[in-house]
Amino acid sequence: MKRRDFIKKAGATAAATVALPYILPSGRLFAASGRQMSEHVVMVMFAGGVRQQESILQRYLDDSQENEPYPGNIMYNMFDGAPPEEKIVFGTGQGGINPIPQLLGTTLQQQGTIFSEVSALSAGHFGGLNSLIQGSTVTTQGLKQRPLNPTIFEYLRRHGGYSASDMWFIGNGISNSVPLLNYSGHPDYGAGYGANFFAPTVTFAETCENYLGDAKVYHPENELSPMYQLKYFLDNSFDQYADGLLSLGNTEEEKQSIKEFMKEMYTKTNNGTVALPPLTDNGDTATVGYACETMKWFKPALTVVNLNGVDTCHSNFSGYVSNMHRADHAVGHLWNYIQNEIPEMAGNTTLIVTPECGRNLMPNNILDENDWRSYDHSDMNSLRVFTQLAGPSIPSNLIVGGEGNPVGKVTDSMMTIADLLGVKTEVQAAGLVAPGTQSLLDQL
Amino acid sequence: MRDSIKTYLFIAVLCALAFSSCKKEPEASFILNDVELYPNAAGKTKIKSNEQYVAILHANLFQTALSANDIFEINNCIESIGDKELAREVIISNFMNDSDVILPTVDEMNTDIDAFITETYVRFLVRYPTEAEKEYVRNFIITNPYVTPEIVYFSFALSNEYMYY
Repeated sequence: MKRRDFIKKAGATAAATVALPYILPSGRLFAASGRQMSEHVVMVMFAGGVRQQESILQRYLDDSQENEPYPGNIMYNMFDGAPPEEKIVFGTGQGGINPIPQLLGTTLQQQGTIFSEVSALSAGHFGGLNSLIQGSTVTTQGLKQRPLNPTIFEYLRRHGGYSASDMWFIGNGISNSVPLLNYSGHPDYGAGYGANFFAPTVTFAETCENYLGDAKVYHPENELSPMYQLKYFLDNSFDQYADGLLSLGNTEEEKQSIKEFMKEMYTKTNNGTVALPPLTDNGDTATVGYACETMKWFKPALTVVNLNGVDTCHSNFSGYVSNMHRADHAVGHLWNYIQNEIPEMAGNTTLIVTPECGRNLMPNNILDENDWRSYDHSDMNSLRVFTQLAGPSIPSNLIVGGEGNPVGKVTDSMMTIADLLGVKTEVQAAGLVAPGTQSLLDQL
Repeated sequence: MRDSIKTYLFIAVLCALAFSSCKKEPEASFILNDVELYPNAAGKTKIKSNEQYVAILHANLFQTALSANDIFEINNCIESIGDKELAREVIISNFMNDSDVILPTVDEMNTDIDAFITETYVRFLVRYPTEAEKEYVRNFIITNPYVTPEIVYFSFALSNEYMYY
């Protein structure tokens, strides 16, 4: 070999040796520029429309029903405050008279920070969920349409180099376009940077077990490898005619892991050993149980869980407070489970809890079984929510803002996740969030 | 005598001319050979819905139709999983675990590999393979000791082209 050739090749080899370890799964050469403050983030979209009055303001019936002067805290895992003493209908047993015992020895309020008066940007569910997950609201956003702007999952995967199985979105079901929220239709981001998604109360229900639960286990090298090899050949032949199908970009190993997880979930569901909250009698509590299992299996950098049981408030106020009480129970269980059952996430996970929108100040004309009035969501009171944070980098026992002193927007939750996981600068540079959106950590 | 010979010859020439000048034209007839027509890959521009996909997949693997209720339920299952390709993979492997699935045996495949390849392309992709495709798949089957009709069918059912029509 000539001396010049030798120097050229040796130089190229050295450069590759230095650069290759930094090429991220996203194809990005360098890691995100920001400082990562938390290894894992879990966002609970405490959705379905939650009135400030019955949640953080702890007024129970006092502010919603005529001649029922009974205040009290029905979310005592999340907030400090004494529970109601009379007219209890939100618990278990006949008439719901037995409140669910408190799970957390120390409330999340004492463990973290509450932004007690946050501005929602949409009085609708899908608009609200979109504002939480993409940090913006777009007036042209359709109801049966993927988010128009990138979601936090896509920012993290594209700019932070996270893999597909590092991002999980656990939905409460498949209605109301919830399955569309795991990635956007934005041309610069999209499916290739999306999150994995399960609606576990559908996926792991008996019906789907009939079609998904008896999957044949193929040998990874002898059977799966040639199977994919032939598929890739067929895809290459066809790619000249079609753009190809949208893919989340799970690797073969990730797919194999997800399939094994599914098999495990069917087994656990049948054995009754899913990590469900102590009281699981509605969709939200079941969803959180499977979210715990998902976190234990994959240890994702970001897990987003969507709840919506409280939406019964359109026609059933008693059901609404009952489901809110259960959502609090589920959040307490989720936090407990992370700290006690997932050592890889204990002590290095940040929790963010935010409703997507509030509910009206004035009731509609529907009375429930207790002759209590129901509430829709369409007025200014529907734009009042709270955001709760807990975790290692969050100040404890701090309340920011209050009635008449709003601090923060719902879109700030997304920027806070970006901040915690180290891609805030990139998200801000993309310029696709609602004006004024900033990390809640910058507003402490 | 000489005159009568001339007369006979004259009559014979006349007869010969008369018969040869009035010949019937043969009727031209055209027929078409039976040729099976299939679309090529370039004509597939529409993506199948989940319902279409599972209905066709079931017909291909079981040679029976799925009920409307089954199609509805399977669609919901696919909707509940973010990675649609993975969802399809799990559904195919569930179908493959069903004792009613109709698959050729390995011996049948190896007895006439070219016929098996052509039959598989027509069954799943509704077209004939090109010579290059046939060559690749033939080599793939011959050189991979673990390849079975099930694996080949699985690959075809999972291919992008199978998602289009």
